[in-house]
Amino acid sequence: MSGEPQYDTFAEKRWLAALAKGDPEALGAIYEIYGERIFRYAFRMLGNRSDAEDVTAETFLRVMRRMNELRADGAFRTWLFRITRNLCIDKMRQHKLMELPADTPYNSSVDRTTLRITVHQALKELPDEYREPLILCDLEDISAKDAAEVLKISVPALKSRLYRGRRALRDKLGGSLERAL
Amino acid sequence: MNNNLYNKLVDLYAGDELPEELTEELVGESFKNTDLRHDMVSLKETVNILRTDPGAEFTDETFNRILMRMYTKGLEVKTRTPEPDHLQLKLPLSG
Repeated sequence: MSGEPQYDTFAEKRWLAALAKGDPEALGAIYEIYGERIFRYAFRMLGNRSDAEDVTAETFLRVMRRMNELRADGAFRTWLFRITRNLCIDKMRQHKLMELPADTPYNSSVDRTTLRITVHQALKELPDEYREPLILCDLEDISAKDAAEVLKISVPALKSRLYRGRRALRDKLGGSLERAL
Repeated sequence: MNNNLYNKLVDLYAGDELPEELTEELVGESFKNTDLRHDMVSLKETVNILRTDPGAEFTDETFNRILMRMYTKGLEVKTRTPEPDHLQLKLPLSG
């Protein structure tokens, strides 16, 4: 987990100012900067590539529509992740209704693949209050302060959930983790 | 030290948030306490697995598919990367 919150860079601010004026090149630049991170985050939340792509596209559509909500001193990244999170939650609600299968995750090789698949399965089974801090802080390397803002909770609450979540995940992994040690 | 304090220290240790001096002290303690050692090693490994997870592949095709979805949703987006082939008009080859 990064110790410090990440602030918008000068270039991002320039693009955001251009975006506020409806510049399509600015939206393209913002997509180039953030598209991959948003997609990965959505995929981790949803476990389904097609849905993650859709949520990523929808995130940028919301950005365009809701630019006026972004405060001049606000961290764009945090706002972006919050939009994505809300869209993922909507998708997950739809999934609960329709029970869509998740994709088989990732394509890394060697022995750890099995463990990673087990980890992703165990992660999916955790309650959201533990799963989300793990995704944001450990998988997406977002600072505790920014993650707390995305989840709209205090930093101590975030850390408490993160620590409990790690222990819950470890306990779920049980024997699989023992074999890897 | 009581278990509750150990747990808090191990939480910080697993997340690389424990100061160096305390880390040394905790590691030293773990040689005398197998439960503590197991807690430290297994939790640290759990965090390492998460932090080194490569995540989903994001290829040029993924980039372009999302771009296509944005176009479909009515967004006007201009990127610096070349447009996907299927969006370009093909001129007939002469010869």
